[in-house]
Amino acid sequence: MKRYFLGVFLALPLSAQAATPEQRGFQVYRQVCSTCHSLNHVTFADLSGIGLAVPDIKAYAASRQVPDGLDDDGDPKTRAAHPSDPIGSPYPNEAMARLANHGDLPPDFSRLAMTEEGGARRIETILRSYAPKPSDVVLAPGSYYNTAFAQNHIGMPPPLHDGQVTYADGTKATIPQMSHDVGAFLDWVAHPHREARSHTGLVVLIYLAGLGTLLALLKRRVWKRVKETRQ
Amino acid sequence: MSKPDNTPAGWLEARLPIISAFRREYVDFAMPRNLTYLWNFGAFATIALALLIVSGIFLALNYTPSVAEAFNSIETIDRHVSSGWLVRAIHMGGVSMLFAALYVHMARSLYYGSYKAPRELLWLTGLGLFILVMIAAFAGYILPWGQMSYWGATVVINAMNAVPLIGPALASWLLGGEGLGSVALHRIYVLHFVTAFSIIGVIVLHVAALHVVGSNNPTGVEPKTSADVVPFHPYYTTKDGLGLCLFLMVYAALIFFAPDLLTLANNYAMANPLVTPGDITPEWYFAPFYAILRAVPSKLGGLILTAGSLVVLFAVPWLDRSPVRSARYRPVLRWALLALFAAFIALGVAGMHKPTGLWLALSRISVAYYYAYFLILLPFLPRVEITRPEPATLRGEGA
Amino acid sequence: MTQDADRPTPSPSCPIPGGGARRRDVLSTVIVGAGCVGACALAYPFLDSLNGTKNTSLGEDDSIDVDIAALRPGQQLVVTWRGWPVFIQKRTPEMLASLKTADIVQRLRDPDSKILQQPKDATNWHRSVVPEIGVLIGICTHLGCVPSYATPSPNDKSGKYSCPCHGSQFDVAGRVYKDAPAPYNLPVPPVTMLSATHVRIGQSKGDPAFSIASIQQI
Repeated sequence: MKRYFLGVFLALPLSAQAATPEQRGFQVYRQVCSTCHSLNHVTFADLSGIGLAVPDIKAYAASRQVPDGLDDDGDPKTRAAHPSDPIGSPYPNEAMARLANHGDLPPDFSRLAMTEEGGARRIETILRSYAPKPSDVVLAPGSYYNTAFAQNHIGMPPPLHDGQVTYADGTKATIPQMSHDVGAFLDWVAHPHREARSHTGLVVLIYLAGLGTLLALLKRRVWKRVKETRQ
Repeated sequence: MSKPDNTPAGWLEARLPIISAFRREYVDFAMPRNLTYLWNFGAFATIALALLIVSGIFLALNYTPSVAEAFNSIETIDRHVSSGWLVRAIHMGGVSMLFAALYVHMARSLYYGSYKAPRELLWLTGLGLFILVMIAAFAGYILPWGQMSYWGATVVINAMNAVPLIGPALASWLLGGEGLGSVALHRIYVLHFVTAFSIIGVIVLHVAALHVVGSNNPTGVEPKTSADVVPFHPYYTTKDGLGLCLFLMVYAALIFFAPDLLTLANNYAMANPLVTPGDITPEWYFAPFYAILRAVPSKLGGLILTAGSLVVLFAVPWLDRSPVRSARYRPVLRWALLALFAAFIALGVAGMHKPTGLWLALSRISVAYYYAYFLILLPFLPRVEITRPEPATLRGEGA
Repeated sequence: MTQDADRPTPSPSCPIPGGGARRRDVLSTVIVGAGCVGACALAYPFLDSLNGTKNTSLGEDDSIDVDIAALRPGQQLVVTWRGWPVFIQKRTPEMLASLKTADIVQRLRDPDSKILQQPKDATNWHRSVVPEIGVLIGICTHLGCVPSYATPSPNDKSGKYSCPCHGSQFDVAGRVYKDAPAPYNLPVPPVTMLSATHVRIGQSKGDPAFSIASIQQI
């Protein structure tokens, strides 16, 4: 449990006004989830997609160290991350991640809302389905009681508690609220172009419907003569 | 050639008569006057293939065929390359649209007897195209190097290994003598390209053959007089154009509003040779063949049945002994054929489910009927079937 | 691809809208026009994808810090910045003197660095932030080869650059000689002297607004 608290206290408070669920969800990710879970395919710069300001992105990137080859003595060195770097993993490698998590690998978040059956809603349900363990239930070490699963347990310790983060927009950080926000953030992470996709789709469909109507008129006119010769 | 034509068109025409050839084949070309919208699907398939090839070329510019980088490069295309998500959506949706168009195109040929003399070569080149498209689709599906890519490839390569005599050699050539790794991925990448471009060549043969014998029509009766035919332009340019607009609307709806409808979410997890995903299913267009593969409890038997289901199609022009082409005038065959389509769809649905209980029974019945249709009904039904009279001309038909 | 002789052809009386004349009417013109517009719109994502990932970048700080403590006078160090070779020289008094020698200066194309090939704080007689340290992007302005450095020797204490491709010559401050094909002086990157032994390349303290993309030619 210790590392969760560390995460909360070490993360710098966001200067941006967290207004949308995705932005609040990112705040929870940054302060809580990112202590264990990676975002290997999402770059810091991508966060402008949820409306994060460029200076905030640059500051967030600069707060993370990434490997930077070897120094002149042949030892590995690091540098502050650039906005174009992936947000990446809190662990240097998979073995370290497993070592810190009872042998389990915390899943990468990049496409989790896609690969997890039920998507973002399912993630939200899992996050809010932690409950005190009933006295008659015996759990293996490293397992936690969670009613979202058929077997009522999960390897992830309860990550959220009420008031864990302080939302800049004044939203009360309850567990259901944070779960919902994390779900919204992960949904965006898995489908970053959804908005552009549906906008483009609408334009394309309207164009095709218009063209189709004109073609239907022309086709009718062209075929009229053939229909007249039909007896 | 009596008077030299001094216009640029005339200059070109004297040296390379492509303008007159185009006019002959695509403007004045005689088409039966009674074609339905089912005759649009060849054009749909061509357009889907063109979009696949163009989008594929642009995807290839950003793709890296190596085990370490393939998945990352696809994520980069999807997330970071300008309009990359759209180019990839066009490519991914295009495969489904191409297969859908091909399946309707083939079903239409079966129903209206378009495979019968003198159109046997059309049917054979078409089947060749279908198999090439299947190879290209299979190879292409491996490229993102997701879980489904990896395990789909593993299953197919093991199936190849089970083919007597040539199987192990083919598998070894594909894999480069090693396991499924970067060497194999690179070869599969090249295979994907080569089949994609060879499809263009076979389409040229397919269309050339079509322009020798002309289109079949819903009656299956050859047009006899000039009143039975209309010029391709403007009649079928407008009809194909309208159909194409509707086809593109479905295509657009798929890629813009339901991009995940036909894809398997598991393929957004990077290939892991140590963990097979729990619910391994093929893409929908392979599902019927996957169901046939699993319908019998024998490795070789399943392979033979699956390969046979394609091979038997090549014999169809000679299996069908009836002089009547169109199922319109064959009351018994008509229902037998609709049952065949139902069986094929049932196989597709069964292929997406675990092969147990009812699904297994359904696939077995469907496979049995599939073979019975081609090997028993097609050759022997004409002996007992009383066909309805065919019309003498197309004059009273369609339009 | 010829039709069978016994296949029927559409009769001349076969109805063609517009009384047989292939006159383009308004409706078909609009449709063909709209189709062309659609085709052009379809080309957009394909061509846009050729821009790669550059549109997703936020214009980040890619400056590098270089330790030049080990650099001896007259010596040159080559580092990479943005994929370009960057020459860092420690100039001897003789080299600096040569930059002001009249018979050399009059053979230069742009001795006063009038053309924008350097930040403001390097627009001076030595083309650098401090006279002793010269920093140049080692890309010949002719056709992009990397000029080679002639170390100062007892015969020629000034040092110079000559391009192996087409013989362009530059003095030690990167100023181009007239009798050679290269049109401009070698570019100077934005430089900040962090200390006597540390140089930051990519950021200019004396000309913070300077962008390497704005120079005449790289």
